[in-house]
Amino acid sequence: MSERTLEGCHVLIVEDEYMLAEELSLALNDAGAVVVGPAAALKDALSLIKSGEKVDAALIDVNLRGESAYAAADLLLDRQIPFVFTTGYDPRIIPEKYRQIPTCEKPVNLARVTSAIGRLVSS
Amino acid sequence: MREHGVIALVNVPIFLPGRVAYGVLQVDATRPRDFDDEDIAFLRTYAMVLGPVIDRFNKARDLAHTTERYRLIVQNARDYAIFLTDAEDRITDWLPGAEAVFGWSEPEALGQPAAIIFTPEDRRAGVPEEETELARRDGKAPNVRWHVRKDGQRVFIDGQTTALRRADGVVTGFMKIGQDVSERKKAEEATRGSEERLRLALESGHLATWDWDLASGKIEWSEEHFRLQGYEVGEVEPSYEAWLDRVHCEDRAEVLKALGNARDHGAAYRVEFRSPHPDGTVVWCSALGRFFYDEQGQATRMIGVMQDVSERRRWEAQQEVLVAELQHRTRNLMGVVRSVADKTIRTSADLTDFRERFSDRIDALARVQGLLSRLGDQERVAFDQLLDTELSAMNAHGKSIGLHGPRNVRLRSSTVQTLAMALHELATNAVKYGALGQADGALTISWRIELPASRGEPWLHIDWSETGVAMRADERPQGGGQGRELIERALPYQLGAKTTYALTPEGVHCTIALPVSASNQDGERTNVRADA
Repeated sequence: MSERTLEGCHVLIVEDEYMLAEELSLALNDAGAVVVGPAAALKDALSLIKSGEKVDAALIDVNLRGESAYAAADLLLDRQIPFVFTTGYDPRIIPEKYRQIPTCEKPVNLARVTSAIGRLVSS
Repeated sequence: MREHGVIALVNVPIFLPGRVAYGVLQVDATRPRDFDDEDIAFLRTYAMVLGPVIDRFNKARDLAHTTERYRLIVQNARDYAIFLTDAEDRITDWLPGAEAVFGWSEPEALGQPAAIIFTPEDRRAGVPEEETELARRDGKAPNVRWHVRKDGQRVFIDGQTTALRRADGVVTGFMKIGQDVSERKKAEEATRGSEERLRLALESGHLATWDWDLASGKIEWSEEHFRLQGYEVGEVEPSYEAWLDRVHCEDRAEVLKALGNARDHGAAYRVEFRSPHPDGTVVWCSALGRFFYDEQGQATRMIGVMQDVSERRRWEAQQEVLVAELQHRTRNLMGVVRSVADKTIRTSADLTDFRERFSDRIDALARVQGLLSRLGDQERVAFDQLLDTELSAMNAHGKSIGLHGPRNVRLRSSTVQTLAMALHELATNAVKYGALGQADGALTISWRIELPASRGEPWLHIDWSETGVAMRADERPQGGGQGRELIERALPYQLGAKTTYALTPEGVHCTIALPVSASNQDGERTNVRADA
């Protein structure tokens, strides 16, 4: 399979669609990462971030069951944890404030997501 | 005078009444003589008598002149109908103007009641009598109404009836003078008609109008203009300030730019802005107007119309949301399809196996999309509908299936796809390995709704129970395959469902409990009872 570019890296997945969360988990596992979550709802994501569990990077779906995930994004920014947005909406709906955050449009290209996280973690 | 042989004379002044000097009475004599006191006294008396006589002659002459003048004026006043009636309102004098206006000749009119010039409806209503009564009482009565000519045509008369009285006050008749103003009246009515039409059109279209005199700063607003900006009609004096005050502050810059541009370049002023009302509502106004200029090119006036487009704006916003949702759903769906393909590949023996199972799952996904896309805004997919769609697709009807539960349990749209996929996997497995594939097998699906005790959401409890199945461990995929994963992991993860999945000696027994649409708390439900 792919190279284990994320060996030992703890990656939080926030994604409400089970199958997509599963797929991402598998891809990240294959790249050597330890998956944190996945979380399907904002409150689960927030409590995972606050729980003190090791998180090196995160993958956040902008929309969770009709709820926006920006609260989780803000918490990660506070804690200086790098993350990537995924979205099924037009990326232009993402507020100006998060312009520097890398964004992957759905359906996500697993290799691209993995390498985007890899870049975040290494920088 | 001497040539005429006048030798002696005497002059006596003549005074008109009021001691107005009129002239001199001169008496001449051809023989020398004196005028004694008696002569003087006679002449003085004579002159005194002469004064009033002359005065009366003067007056009579003036009167004759005046009467002649009036007669001329009255006879030549063709635009004015003038006639007199007696105490019974019968025509006694019919002047040429009356003939010109009403068409009756003098011989025809004389002796007729004045009512002949009134319209039939006015005659029936007693208007002619009312009018003379009023003139009798007040001396005058206005007569401003449509009348009728001899030929039946209508003429609009602006006139007056005056009572004629003797010195002792007894009314001897009436004088009627009126002007034919039909043309003016028709023009007025036409104008009023077109104004009325315009007003009605503006009202029907809920179009507000304004007319702004830039020199004086005075603005006229239609009633709708007040309403569109959240003012009671007449609540404020229309002004630039009152208008701008009810333009949303975030929209002001754009609106003022459009206004300035229209004024400076003679372009149409076309802008949409929000108008915040004191009651908290916000109305979207669409305004269209233009400036008018004097010879020097100075803007002097601005006129325009404005319309409430809130509804259109709402639709646009809603459509935007729908398009974004559709995009979101489609993209997610593509992800799901990819994931389904991936998982099917992992568990397929060969490509033939893959093709069969993959197309089966894609069909199930397509059926769900079909159900969802047919929904209106407030509609929800019902559980029994979803179940029916899935069982029909599996050709499972007619087999030994018992369905027990209320109809029309409305599902949250976000849960429909995952739940449908789970039901599909259960049904597929039942056909392949379980109750729907074996002669002695039976499937019972029962469901009920649990309403929240106080706060919270209603829950749907589903029980899928297969019996009479000869379990062959070798055939059934390990752990139930994708169906089991969906039920045990996907439903709890994605829908917050509580699920169980067990392989009993009789067959599969599965329970699913998931929150459903809050709209299930009201409304009636009938039960599905379909035992085969």
